[in-house]
Amino acid sequence: MTNQKLKIERVLVVSAVAAVLAAGSSWARAPFTDEELAEQKAALVESVALGYDLWHGSRADMTTNGLACGNCHPDTAAANPQTFPKYMTMYGKVIPFREMVNWCIENPQVGTRLDVNGDDMTAMEAYAFYLHRGKEITPGLASEQTTPIVVEYGTGFARTPTGIGVDTKP
Amino acid sequence: MSDIVDHSRRQFLSFAGKAGLTTLVAQAVGINLGVVDIVRAQTGKRGVEPFRFAIISDAHLYSMPDHKFDTQLADAVAQVNAMTPLPDFVLFGGDVAQNGTEDQLVKGKKILSELKMPLKIIPGEHDWYLDMGDAWRGLYGDETWSFNHKGVHFIGLNSILVRDFWTETGMTPLERMTVMEMLESPIPGPWGVHEKQLEWLANDVKDLAPDTPIVVFTHSPLWDYYPRWNFQTSDAPEIREILSKFENVMSYHGHVHQTLFNRIGNMSSVAALSTSWPWPYPPVELAFPETRMNRADPSIATDGMGTQVIDLSGSFEALVQYNPFEDSLTPFMRDGFKV
Ligand SMILES: [Fe+2]
Ligand SMILES: [Fe+2]
Repeated sequence: MTNQKLKIERVLVVSAVAAVLAAGSSWARAPFTDEELAEQKAALVESVALGYDLWHGSRADMTTNGLACGNCHPDTAAANPQTFPKYMTMYGKVIPFREMVNWCIENPQVGTRLDVNGDDMTAMEAYAFYLHRGKEITPGLASEQTTPIVVEYGTGFARTPTGIGVDTKP
Repeated sequence: MSDIVDHSRRQFLSFAGKAGLTTLVAQAVGINLGVVDIVRAQTGKRGVEPFRFAIISDAHLYSMPDHKFDTQLADAVAQVNAMTPLPDFVLFGGDVAQNGTEDQLVKGKKILSELKMPLKIIPGEHDWYLDMGDAWRGLYGDETWSFNHKGVHFIGLNSILVRDFWTETGMTPLERMTVMEMLESPIPGPWGVHEKQLEWLANDVKDLAPDTPIVVFTHSPLWDYYPRWNFQTSDAPEIREILSKFENVMSYHGHVHQTLFNRIGNMSSVAALSTSWPWPYPPVELAFPETRMNRADPSIATDGMGTQVIDLSGSFEALVQYNPFEDSLTPFMRDGFKV
């Protein structure tokens, strides 16, 4: 059997399974409506925008020396959230991205760590992951300096000057 | 960190010697290197009396007392003061201050006054946009200058001038400064030296012979590296055009907080390390990727920062040596490179 033929047959099998699941999915809820999807997207955007502000220093207790995440990580560059969890030498063990954020808050920024389950930490994570959307999830990868993320004009979020970071995109 | 200056007997990697390979690689990836200039003759009697100068850049001092960046700038000054032989002078590459306040600029001047040799300085965006350079000029003088030293013509330009985005929007000076403080700020757009300085430059070099060795010093690179972070100077093409009559132009700059080399036409370009924090390499292809330093380890507080010293030969060839505070350099960079 040729590889080509094998591939086609696999596709057919997968399609058949999907069709059965779709037909028999009476236990699942109906798909989200466009309005619901828009609401969900708006909620994510709000979280990302909050993360953008926090990343650029909007929360005073995250620093005592004036440094913000954005000092060293413009556009979240070299934060590489998609490579977590990974081994970090400062911990001597595998840690999640949220812990790495808190390490930077406590060490270079000499600030107070965020509640790892709080909305602010979620927002930080949302901002970093949003800019890295579409990037391959590669836990443990530590060799690349900067993931080549394409950043649109500004961050893509309407911001007015906050005294910390701004974005003019309407 | 201490064995940075006694490399005179070693063999140095030179971009001139690598021209063949670089050309092939460049053609393969479609990069325009201006390869004609890479193979430019290395000799020529230009009457330079060999000397060295150092560069310190991007201190980003904050206002709070005993900030770690104060110490790091002081360490850079001590590092330069300990060089043997001593540099004839030091160039400071801009961003003395983080927020452009007078106290930060004064603090920077005080720390830099410990240098044993003269200082020449140009502004960065962090120095400028609170009061449009008033405090900076009061402390450091003109931001556009040139001088001759041992046969080399040095030029300093203010490359961080942006169009007025604050008058129409009614921004306060503090808001304006805040906009400029953010590397990825989308408001100011690309900056440059603007028309008046271009005129000044054209006038400054008009009577100089083509074989005059030229060093031009700016905050931002004189090539389009990564415009989103203003790793560029918008009128760099005009600057390069004005300087195109010279056989060899060396550009040194700050702002990018990293090691970096490039060449366009007759102009080589060398970036300075900061003394505050390193910036990641933006996701762009480089013509000379081997001039990247190692990825900084955040758990080593001063990794990826330091100073640099440049030895100019009698034929106006430069040996560039980065002196990081920590072990930040790849083997290629460790012994310096010739420009
Ligand atoms: Fe800087
Ligand atoms: Fe800068």
